[in-house]
Amino acid sequence: MENEIKRLEEEFQRDFQQVNSPKELEILKIKYLGRKSTFTQLFSRIPTLAKEERGTWGKRLNTFKQKITSLLESKISQVKSREEKIDLTPPSISPESGSRHILSTVSEKICSIFEKLGFVTIEGKEIEEEWYNFEALNIPLEHPSREAFDTFYLDLPEKDKGKYLLRSHTSPSQIRVMQGAKPPLAVISPGRVYRPDEVDATHSFMFHQIEGFAVDKDINFAHLKGVLLHFAREFFSTEVELRFRPHFFPFTEPSAEVDISCFICRRQKIAARGPLRPRSEASEPRQRREDRKQRTENSKNKCSVCKGKGWLEILGCGMIHPKVLKACRIDSKKYKGFAFGMGLERIAMLKYGIDDIRLFYENDVRFLRQFSL
Amino acid sequence: MRFSLNFIQEFLKVNIRPRELASFLTMAGMEVERLEKRASDWIFDIEVTTNRYDWLSILGISREIATILGKKLKVNYPVSVATPPLTTRDIVIEDKKDCPYYIGRRIEGVRVSASEAWLQERILNCGLTLVNDIVDITNYSMLKWGNPLHAFDADKLEGNIYIRRAKKNESLVGIDGKERVLGKENLVIADSKKVIALAGIIGGKNTEVTEATKNIFLEAAVFSPLTVRRSRRAVGLDTESSYRFERVVPPHLLGHASYEAAKLIADVSGGKNKGYKAAGKRPQLTKKNITISLNSLGAYLGLAPLKSKVKKILESLDFKVKDLSKGKIVVSPSQSRFDIKSEVDVYEEFSRIYGYDKIPDQIPFLKRNLATSSQADYYHFKGELANLVALLGFKEIITYSLEEKEQLRIGLSADVSSEALAEGGASAKAGDKDVIELINPLRSQENALRSNLLFGMAKSLRHNLNRTLKDTSTLTGTGNQGSLRLFEIADTYSKSNKGFLETPTLALAVSGKEGDFFLLKGALEKILSFLNISNFEFKEDSLNNFTNSLKVDVGNCNLGFLGKLDQQQKKNLDLKEDLFFAQLDLSICAKRRGQKKYKPFSPYPVIWRDISISLKKSIKFKEVEGVIKAKGNYLAGLAIVDVYGGKDILPEYKAFTLRIFYQSTEKTLTSSEVDSFHNQIRQSLSQQEGVSLR
Repeated sequence: MENEIKRLEEEFQRDFQQVNSPKELEILKIKYLGRKSTFTQLFSRIPTLAKEERGTWGKRLNTFKQKITSLLESKISQVKSREEKIDLTPPSISPESGSRHILSTVSEKICSIFEKLGFVTIEGKEIEEEWYNFEALNIPLEHPSREAFDTFYLDLPEKDKGKYLLRSHTSPSQIRVMQGAKPPLAVISPGRVYRPDEVDATHSFMFHQIEGFAVDKDINFAHLKGVLLHFAREFFSTEVELRFRPHFFPFTEPSAEVDISCFICRRQKIAARGPLRPRSEASEPRQRREDRKQRTENSKNKCSVCKGKGWLEILGCGMIHPKVLKACRIDSKKYKGFAFGMGLERIAMLKYGIDDIRLFYENDVRFLRQFSL
Repeated sequence: MRFSLNFIQEFLKVNIRPRELASFLTMAGMEVERLEKRASDWIFDIEVTTNRYDWLSILGISREIATILGKKLKVNYPVSVATPPLTTRDIVIEDKKDCPYYIGRRIEGVRVSASEAWLQERILNCGLTLVNDIVDITNYSMLKWGNPLHAFDADKLEGNIYIRRAKKNESLVGIDGKERVLGKENLVIADSKKVIALAGIIGGKNTEVTEATKNIFLEAAVFSPLTVRRSRRAVGLDTESSYRFERVVPPHLLGHASYEAAKLIADVSGGKNKGYKAAGKRPQLTKKNITISLNSLGAYLGLAPLKSKVKKILESLDFKVKDLSKGKIVVSPSQSRFDIKSEVDVYEEFSRIYGYDKIPDQIPFLKRNLATSSQADYYHFKGELANLVALLGFKEIITYSLEEKEQLRIGLSADVSSEALAEGGASAKAGDKDVIELINPLRSQENALRSNLLFGMAKSLRHNLNRTLKDTSTLTGTGNQGSLRLFEIADTYSKSNKGFLETPTLALAVSGKEGDFFLLKGALEKILSFLNISNFEFKEDSLNNFTNSLKVDVGNCNLGFLGKLDQQQKKNLDLKEDLFFAQLDLSICAKRRGQKKYKPFSPYPVIWRDISISLKKSIKFKEVEGVIKAKGNYLAGLAIVDVYGGKDILPEYKAFTLRIFYQSTEKTLTSSEVDSFHNQIRQSLSQQEGVSLR
């Protein structure tokens, strides 16, 4: 009998090892403990045994049963708690996030670059009086320089500072701030501006500008250059160069238009590294080789962003005209200042390769989503 | 302005490559926008800024090139011959302010034909069109010296020449064939019988030089820039001539230019100079001497320039420079530069030629007046708020501030509460008669400043809904099932008794199904909680064009509203889905904004119990809430966890399961305590009219 029990135990161990699913375990349980099982047969033989042996074998068989039962049950619960694997390859569920408009993001980014230099952000009002938009900025009535600033006028009763209009640039903010506070001043002023331009891919009757200016005793043109170069490198790329071209604005003198080296085709950057001498491919430094490749590329198809010029106009600036300081009752003998203004849409279009200004105001979700949080 | 290199060579030998020249000019402020080779010539398209009238002539451009190349420009001014005197007609100037100086010359016996090749090249390469040799010569002279001239057919002139303002109802057919009715803002040239030219703008058809012309009357004059500007604006015409007169023409060249042109005409057409007459006086330039200090110049630019360098550059500009003691110099600009009037003008001229690229780049230590700091918050306040709203899943949009006034009039004009007006806000609901209109709109669709942000929002929604663009639902992962959530922060505008209001405003919109309204309401609560405005209330409102609406009040002060756009407006605005819209006045919100402060929370557990309620539709949930709150021992919150509409619910009832949360700040509530509170609430609710517990 002992031998039979041992054999049964070994047989069970073998079967048990190979079985994994709950169903198979159930079958195993029936096989070893069911009515027709060897175990049941062995158990039924007990009454036939000698009286003194019955207790011993009864215990022995019960231990065997308990052992099997507990092994099976623990395995069943173990198997049952094990999760089925799922297919991880179907497409993802894309969580929809909210977003800031790209113009807001760019505006805040620009303001923060200047704020770190000590500028403070102050918005002006969009409804302005004529004097603030023009005369105070040295743009006299009936002067050709006013031609560049066609303006929407409003049906509000005129006051002592002239007719009401929608500001055609953010420069009136300069006047408002300088009238309200004495130098030293360093202010950045973003906002909407309006000009009667028909809407097309590059024009809009409403757009955004950012104005910046600083006034103090020792402000100079070199500061203007430094501050703007810092801005360009923070905002666009550490690699960019600026080009200051003399220009005319009524409210600054000297005035400049500022171009940024095209960061798409890097034409100016490459040009600045000097001429390319033909050498054997192997001895040519890697940078030169890349430059040469880039340059060949550029001459083949003109850069679509800078039209092959290598420079992109990004803003206008200059030293604040003494007449503007005087209009704000600031002593122009004592104080000097610089000022600059840029079009937000243009900056964003350049940076992100957006080719139509109307995309900013159409608010197509496919556009908005690209700049989500 | 367009000029040609061959034309420049009449004044100056240029021996550098045209591309190089173009780049030098650009870097000196004369931006070359286009450069083109045409036969043996090079064409430069330049941008002339309004201060540089002197660049509207080949002479002026040559002077600039000479300066850049470090060359001396030698000009052989033609000697003006003022004989023989013209005796047949008089020249009468009505007002010397309009026309300080006028020269007339008579050339007899001309034969009008086409221009010679060299002259054709000059005219065409500078972007003008050919007419005949006489007219081409006047244009050539204008290009060369900057003084527009005009040739009349002398035989068509009757009597004297008058320079006067047009009389009412006078008109002129110009050489462009168009008739223009004139008025007193127009300065004209007239003979004894008729108007023959719009002074400084365009000549008349009646005295035009044609192939039949035998005798010429050649006009050279100085007209007031402002007069020409007003006159040409009145007739809506802009010509090469008016462009120059508006910006100042050099009076000292008038005699030379007129003589040279007359001589050329005589030479090419076989005529003879037979008369000269001048009226008025050549405007005398007041000699400007500008004293500058080298220290100031250096401090202005951030340089320490050598005196010799400064002198050299200014002299290359044809300015006279005289040394004074103590690092000062006196500068007298050349005759052709009336735009140089003050120190900064000299600074600019110096730095332009010196090269902006040679001025260093420096970052200053910026100081600022403390008074400017307090104003600074507003921009960042709006930015923070926008970030929050974006975190709530809304997408920021930017829409036009200009809209159609008719649409705005339909707008949201509801009962504007007097309290709200007293607060100076609530512009969102400002009476629509208060819309600010544009005097000179571009199109009627954009003829007023918007008084709310609804229509811009609706337009953006329409754009997206028409393309079935919506938020992807996070639950199903499929597109086109969710709602669309947008927001905008922008100013709204309205007239007020003090003048006008320009109010920063927040608009939120959710498009979609009925339940999405509560998403909007929840977003608004989140925003108010972010602003730490705790004592706000949603009150029933009746906004125009909204099926129903709530206003958001703090005490008597209105912060804004939210509601569901009605079906009529939904149809008008062509929206494919319902629009739930909210608007907040941010100027009031900013004022009411509170400080964030830590609020301790209970460490003891929250226990909840559900009540299933059938509520008569005529009764607002708010009343149920009121009853619960009145009873509310240890009440920690309410939520609707299920809504059902089974057959057993009567149509005039709605049924839902309300979950009530209980919590103590002092202890863990026992189950029997909660049951007892809960039963009290059940009791009170069951006694309510229209409420039945299920």
